[in-house]
Amino acid sequence: MDKIITVGVREFIETVKTKTFFITSVLLPLIMLGMIFGSQSIAEMAEKETQPAKHFAVRDESGAVYDELSAQIDQYNEEMSTRPYAFESSEASVEELTQRVIDGDLYAYIVIPSNVLETTDPARAAEAGDEPIAGAGPVMTTLPAGTATCELGRKDGNPEVSERLKMMLNAAIVRVRFATADPPIDYERVSMLRQLVGVRQVDVVSGEETGSDMIRFMAPFGFMFLLFMGTMTISQGLLTSVIEEKSSRVVEVLLSAVSPTQLMAGKILGTVCVGALLMTVWGFVGYSSAQARDLGYLVTSRHLLYAGLYFVPGFLLIAAFLAAAGAACNTIKEAQSMAAPLTIMSIVPMMLWWLIMLNPNSILSVILSYIPPITPFVMILRVCADPDISLLQVITTLGLLWASVLAMIWTAGKIFRVGVLMYGKPPSLKELARWVRYD
Amino acid sequence: MTNAIELNGLVKAYGDFRAVDNLSLDVPAGRIVGFLGPNGAGKTTTIRMIMSIIYPDSGQISVLGRPRAIDVKDSIGYLPEERGLYRKMTIDQTLRYFGKLKGMRGHDLKSRIGECLESVGLGDWRYKKAEALSKGMSQKLQFVTTILHRPELVILDEPFSGLDPINMELLKDLVIDLKAKGATVIFSTHQMEQAQRLCDRLVLINRGRKLIDGTMEEIRSRFSSRILNLEGEGDFTALAGQAGVIDSEVASGNARLEITAETDPTAILRQAIDVARLSRYEIQRLDLHEIFVKLVGEDAGDLDFSEKEPTTGGQR
Repeated sequence: MDKIITVGVREFIETVKTKTFFITSVLLPLIMLGMIFGSQSIAEMAEKETQPAKHFAVRDESGAVYDELSAQIDQYNEEMSTRPYAFESSEASVEELTQRVIDGDLYAYIVIPSNVLETTDPARAAEAGDEPIAGAGPVMTTLPAGTATCELGRKDGNPEVSERLKMMLNAAIVRVRFATADPPIDYERVSMLRQLVGVRQVDVVSGEETGSDMIRFMAPFGFMFLLFMGTMTISQGLLTSVIEEKSSRVVEVLLSAVSPTQLMAGKILGTVCVGALLMTVWGFVGYSSAQARDLGYLVTSRHLLYAGLYFVPGFLLIAAFLAAAGAACNTIKEAQSMAAPLTIMSIVPMMLWWLIMLNPNSILSVILSYIPPITPFVMILRVCADPDISLLQVITTLGLLWASVLAMIWTAGKIFRVGVLMYGKPPSLKELARWVRYD
Repeated sequence: MTNAIELNGLVKAYGDFRAVDNLSLDVPAGRIVGFLGPNGAGKTTTIRMIMSIIYPDSGQISVLGRPRAIDVKDSIGYLPEERGLYRKMTIDQTLRYFGKLKGMRGHDLKSRIGECLESVGLGDWRYKKAEALSKGMSQKLQFVTTILHRPELVILDEPFSGLDPINMELLKDLVIDLKAKGATVIFSTHQMEQAQRLCDRLVLINRGRKLIDGTMEEIRSRFSSRILNLEGEGDFTALAGQAGVIDSEVASGNARLEITAETDPTAILRQAIDVARLSRYEIQRLDLHEIFVKLVGEDAGDLDFSEKEPTTGGQR
């Protein structure tokens, strides 16, 4: 046991001293925080930059919409003075307008057809959805057949411009329709009646008012992502250190003092301690900064408890696997290709996190919870998404996880013992199986 | 006299290849014993089994009175053939680490590190990183890691490879010093000259089997033939055919004749005077190198024979 601890202490110190550890423990969380909180201010900064006016030519075949549209555009130019739109009314044919866009004389042309004020029958109009509300985002509704259609012709595909134009066009056309209705309808009054109400969101556990839905929804992902990165980079460190010991030929010198099993146990122990240190630091920083910013509902002690419960075995499992992979191979490249199944598998929760968060108790989520290497990642998402997660499932997934940890350590010990002294070609699966059977 | 190591009927096979084949051996305590053999003879495999790094398929091992070296690892110093250092650690850190792994602690460890580094002339390098050392220095440092904990049994696998003559002498002195302090030393090498000068006992291994073991005298007594070295102007060819000459290498101006123990060397000398004007005449016993080549050659001959046998058997 003394020897295991000595090996573990060295592993711990050498890992903590590396650049990778610094990057993972300090820079990565900073980047994550930056992504969550900083992207908005970067976007705001970008909006302050003044851009040249975009020139549009409007061919209004109905002859009724242009005035209202230019009123909308004036209003827009007032609000967004940094990225103005310039408009002109044009009688030119579509071909001529196209040529002007191609020549760069115009940014885009807009064609408003003559039938633009006609509406289809009331039932289908209802399907088409409501007038877009300014600022409510893109119009997602699919339009029924026979609806009047305008045309926007341009060279690029800037979605901000097209969405804004769609909004302004629709607002203008709807206003004109109101004004030209028989009898005319007071648009201001209608929009007053259609005024929306707000919804204040409260987290019932902490009693705090929750801020943006997005942050609340993204936080568990951020949580999982950090744990994932921590687990992967630090246990990769173990793989690297095993390969280093092999390639620098230190390993047999070590084996003169410790048995291969002690060596592996010590290395895994040291790595797990690094992981534990990392988790403690992150947990503490995350918890206290969430408290400080009144976002306590994002990181609760319950989350931290589950994180600890799942990540100790999760970490052990991956560390043991990579220790064996490192021992069996001679170069990092070989070892990484041997560890590829694990890497591929661990991408699954990364790809499906959205689905797991939306439906934490769906069959998919439950099945994924019982695949040992990804159990911790899936479960942490589920625990965050559903505060009333089934205790039975927590116990059984933890049980399965620990059982696979023991099986993995046993197997890894066998492979490690043979592998550390093998140089040359990396072994095939068949050979690995034979190593496991050696006594 | 007790034995530091006893091996009995040791077998280790990798697939169809028998790396060690029924090897039995005693290493008396307090002696320097050389393991000799060509590359691939099974020396390293045997040493690894002694160290419990790998386990034999069958046979018994006793190391310092225990069946497994793991139980007495702290009393053994092992310098493997495949050896290296942590490049990024300082020499002090490296030695502390290995010292702790061997059960040393505190002040004893600290003073012992200084003492050992001085003895190999690395005292000034204590706080430098291992990557700053030259190859020869690394070799010496590795030797220090082997003997730091004052082991009773020291096993050195090819300790002389990569050393210059001066460091080789230094290492030899250190090995003799170990013996003087009562340690048992085993080393494997294929540098016969070193083995001959340093070892109390020799073990010759080939193809996983022991060809011979004993003291230098014992081994020589089994090979009683003599070597005659002749130099001079004349044609020595006629001497090769003389009675009692087992083997000969004749060139213009010199000849090397191996004669049986019963042959009178002066008879050959008389013949030589008849055919040439001699400038040098020398009688030698076989040196270890020649014995080694002879034994391995005979062993390879056995191999050819045993491989042919099944075929002829099949034809009958």
